[in-house]
Amino acid sequence: MSWKPEVDEIKQRRALALGQGGAEAVAKQHSQNRLTIRERVDQLLDPGSFEELGPVAGTPVYNEAGELVSYDPANFILGFGKVNGRRVIVGGEDFTMRGGSPSPAGLRKSVYAEDLAVQYKVPLIRLHEGSGGSVGGTSGKGPNLPGPVNAPSRFRSVAQAMATVPVATAAMGAVAGLPAGRLVASHFSVMSKSTAQIITAGPAVVERAMGEKKTKDELGGWKVHTKNGTVDNGADDESACIEEIKRFLSYMPDNVNQLAPVVECDDPADRCEESLLEVVPRDRRVAFEMRKVIHAVFDHGSFFEMGKGYGRSQITGLARLNGQTVGVWGNDCKFLAGSMTADGAHKARRFMELCETFSFPIVTLVDEPGFMIGSQAEREATIRHGTSAVLTAAMTTVPWAAVMVRRSFGVAQAAHYGPEAYVLAWPSAESGPLPVEGGVAVAFRREIEAAPDPDAKRRELEEMLAAKQSPFPRAEALSVHDLIDPRETRPELCKWLARVQPLLPDLLGPSAFAIRP
Amino acid sequence: MTKIELETGGSVWKLLVAEGDAVEEGQTLFILEVMKMEVPYEAPHAGTVATVHIAEGDFVGEDDLALVIQA
Repeated sequence: MSWKPEVDEIKQRRALALGQGGAEAVAKQHSQNRLTIRERVDQLLDPGSFEELGPVAGTPVYNEAGELVSYDPANFILGFGKVNGRRVIVGGEDFTMRGGSPSPAGLRKSVYAEDLAVQYKVPLIRLHEGSGGSVGGTSGKGPNLPGPVNAPSRFRSVAQAMATVPVATAAMGAVAGLPAGRLVASHFSVMSKSTAQIITAGPAVVERAMGEKKTKDELGGWKVHTKNGTVDNGADDESACIEEIKRFLSYMPDNVNQLAPVVECDDPADRCEESLLEVVPRDRRVAFEMRKVIHAVFDHGSFFEMGKGYGRSQITGLARLNGQTVGVWGNDCKFLAGSMTADGAHKARRFMELCETFSFPIVTLVDEPGFMIGSQAEREATIRHGTSAVLTAAMTTVPWAAVMVRRSFGVAQAAHYGPEAYVLAWPSAESGPLPVEGGVAVAFRREIEAAPDPDAKRRELEEMLAAKQSPFPRAEALSVHDLIDPRETRPELCKWLARVQPLLPDLLGPSAFAIRP
Repeated sequence: MTKIELETGGSVWKLLVAEGDAVEEGQTLFILEVMKMEVPYEAPHAGTVATVHIAEGDFVGEDDLALVIQA
């Protein structure tokens, strides 16, 4: 007798697994404008490239005769696949079963995702929609017993994955509990504005514990989480989220032991951008668009901004110079004068850790007036978060180039210059312990008070000191490597990158410190 | 109809247009003062100023509606 009966049952189970939570649950998912996890995986991956792991993991139901009558597949989908020809690991909860709250096999598969990423050293992409544990436990019969005392920590591999491979995540629907924690345990996260919420606990739990009546969107919709840094980016819908993840991956190496892919660049390395000559207004009080500088300097269309909605005085992202990935960090003087706020410092720290983890050279475009001041800034512990950013910069080992575009003041400025940074200054650069406007009132208080017209005296002192902000003495003293025509910024940065590129292979491998959420 | 909303809070330093004015693309509409910086807001396209919701000296908040431009 052959093994045909068993083979038939393998086929039967595979077919049942593809049915997910059943036609009705799938239809409900679609009626709410959300894709199923299998559709999401299909959209992400190159056609036909999905190699599923554990496709028939699940919970069978047998009749008295021992025959299979029904079958609940694991509610976490996991496997290998390719994105633009590159191998990745992809996983995500199946919301059509138990609302994505882990079933026994689903939990095993979900935890396996990070193990696989560390083992195979390829990028990990998680597409989340699901909730955490249930008081009913994974089996529905009561809370799960914790694992044995010698079981490895479930979160160790989550942390190891972030130190080993690029991890990109998306919130596609409601994400709560453990999936929410894993969503943010990533180098890049994006949420669908039309379908996703991210909540530590849902409305029912919140109302029971705190008496606070809020909808899912009020608790954790995109308006909350793209502004507080829970996710890096928001995108209109699920498809847009997937496109953002693909774009992010295009800058990334497969793991920390490899260099980022270099793409062919049709933007000349020696391109001088005329607009840069006048992008910074001569009137020191008038704001300008740092993003215009970024777009003019880096390869055409290559800037991928991360975290635009929060810590908005700092602009961070990835871009290319002559086809090579670099981290880009500028100040936005239109937002709180570009000062270092607590959330801006947190965003900057994560940005630097991302670059350090994957050995990306960092280019800063500096217009930093200093730490944010005032009572709100004090309440937010700005000095602690800011100093964390400054010391993170000081600990990095990747090459830095800093372009002093305008202001560079206080302790906060130090965060923009890593060790041995190559420093170029525009003629508009000003630097010192603190900006003239604030500093004069303090340092010359008596002189100003004693003057017949204190206001005029203050202005006179400000103008006198501002004149001393000329960049020429700094160049004469070799306090900057060079004073440049702003139009030369791209050519000069491309030359610098060609010089530091040979150093990058020595930086590969695990970093002394990796990125933290 | 294009709503011009404020990207940050601050005070309205200069209001350079009034209801009914024709504006060019890129023309400065008003200047906000934020942390001693003057932040100009420009017309995203040519049109007519339909309504103005701010006045010089106003303290304004993030996402406040400043004015509306009719293409």
